[in-house]
Amino acid sequence: MGNSTISEVVKIRRRVYTELVRLELDNELQEKIDKVPKKLINDDSPRHRCCEFKERAIIRDRIKLAIGFDPKDHPETPLSKLTNSINKVKEDTNAVKVLEKACDSCPIDKYLVTDACRNCVAHKCVNACPKDAIIIIQNKAFIDQDKCIECGRCANVCPYKAINENKRPCVRACSVDAITSDENRRAEIDDNKCVNCGSCIVACPFGAIDYISYIVQVLKLLKDEDKEVAALLAPSFTGQFGVRVQPEMVKKALKEIGFSQVVEAAYGADKVIREESEEFLERMEEGSEVMTTSCCPGFKTLIKEHYPELNDYVSTTVSPMIKTADYIKENNSEVKTIFIGPCIAKKSEAVSYENIDYVLTFEELVSIIVGFGINLEKMDEGEKIEDASKLGRIFPYSGGVSTAIKSYLENKDIDLADFKFEAAQGLEQCKNKLKTIKEDEAEFSFLEGMACEKGCVDGPGNLIKAVVAKKLVNDFADKAEDLTNKAKKE
Amino acid sequence: MPKKEVEICVGTPCHLMGAEELLNMVKDLPERYENNFKFKSSHCINDKCDMAPVVKIDGKVYGEQNPEKLRELLDNYLRDNI
Repeated sequence: MGNSTISEVVKIRRRVYTELVRLELDNELQEKIDKVPKKLINDDSPRHRCCEFKERAIIRDRIKLAIGFDPKDHPETPLSKLTNSINKVKEDTNAVKVLEKACDSCPIDKYLVTDACRNCVAHKCVNACPKDAIIIIQNKAFIDQDKCIECGRCANVCPYKAINENKRPCVRACSVDAITSDENRRAEIDDNKCVNCGSCIVACPFGAIDYISYIVQVLKLLKDEDKEVAALLAPSFTGQFGVRVQPEMVKKALKEIGFSQVVEAAYGADKVIREESEEFLERMEEGSEVMTTSCCPGFKTLIKEHYPELNDYVSTTVSPMIKTADYIKENNSEVKTIFIGPCIAKKSEAVSYENIDYVLTFEELVSIIVGFGINLEKMDEGEKIEDASKLGRIFPYSGGVSTAIKSYLENKDIDLADFKFEAAQGLEQCKNKLKTIKEDEAEFSFLEGMACEKGCVDGPGNLIKAVVAKKLVNDFADKAEDLTNKAKKE
Repeated sequence: MPKKEVEICVGTPCHLMGAEELLNMVKDLPERYENNFKFKSSHCINDKCDMAPVVKIDGKVYGEQNPEKLRELLDNYLRDNI
């Protein structure tokens, strides 16, 4: 997954964010927000749709989403009027939304015969079809869509691979079958099935699916001098602000834009390692066969919504984000907590936890920094950042969490010979491993599940490639102390 | 003929708009580009942040780049000057 190519769609989203940030910083958002669509879509800007009016209508909906409103619920409300009630917005438990106006209603006829059809003698397609849906017209096979049951047998048998499975990109990307079509054939998300992983957002080439943002609400907190605001940085933050930008610079830049404290969420991961390791041992002693991790909200929702019978296998330890937020609020309950990470599902996870006020993605935060006019490449001095151990810092890639738990237990001289650790990356793999638990065929006792392939380093809210991100995560982890030393000091 | 200097801005605004992809693109170019251009990164090019991502080729500034556009620019230089 991940924004591995910065497409025009990604750029538009980021331009909207920076523009809104600039206006809010100048205290002109209310006054000028209605003019933003015209500013962003002018005579010179590239045209992707029929006319500039449609482009602007879509931008208007993107802005609604960027200030915390689902455009579907406010089709006609002017932006300036929505801006009025920005502080009253209730956070949405479903962060992923369809922008109906942007959806191209891609064709949903699933199997189509292409020009590669040679009208051969064997007509394997005709013979393979159980519903007699294929006829030969004008020297070419043709699928009668009224009869087709989308079994795919024709496509499998065609020697020329001339029959295409024509799935919508969003549907193809969704591992949990959460995307259907409305009566106008536009994409529709079933909120009860969606795990908010964000794959469809990355997949849609029309930018018709996007995630809800609360950047302006966060900005208002940062501007308020009476409020203390803490940034909780997800462990994959290294390199997201620029591959050569050191973590120390990131901390300093965040202080400059108004955060009073900057804490690594890996601090919470350190606590999770201890707690989840103990929990694992206890469960095994009690005779349980498997325990799964609980840190990835996409994976946790997958179990909750699609494998509810496995809910008891999920570790009851809270995620590193929650642990870190609890720690900050314990010290001072007045502090506002903003988690910043690669993840869209975290936005949904956070809604039900009081101790997290807002969740931003890295791309939202970097858009804010750009709106402030700060260039991290030009900063010459940073601020020390050392909240976490080596093991806490390796959480964000596939295999990291299980490695951390295993190392921690090994360090305590616990014999792990009887236990097998497994890491599943991507929802498809997660589903396969969960199925084996369900069927009593699991060949592991500890299952780490991450909804994104490669783990959080390839999350949809990232700015850099997963391989680079993983390398930088490891470099930063190598600078940290090991967990036992760190615990002794505390 | 001396190599033409190609600067790619990696400042935060350009980073947000995909500067990394430009760097990756030039890294993978065939040798003849390496023979004709000297590639380097920059922290900011002429304060043209509104046009991010920005590159500068032989003193001339180009905004709103993407890997395809930059490749085309380089090809044009190669064609005109060799």
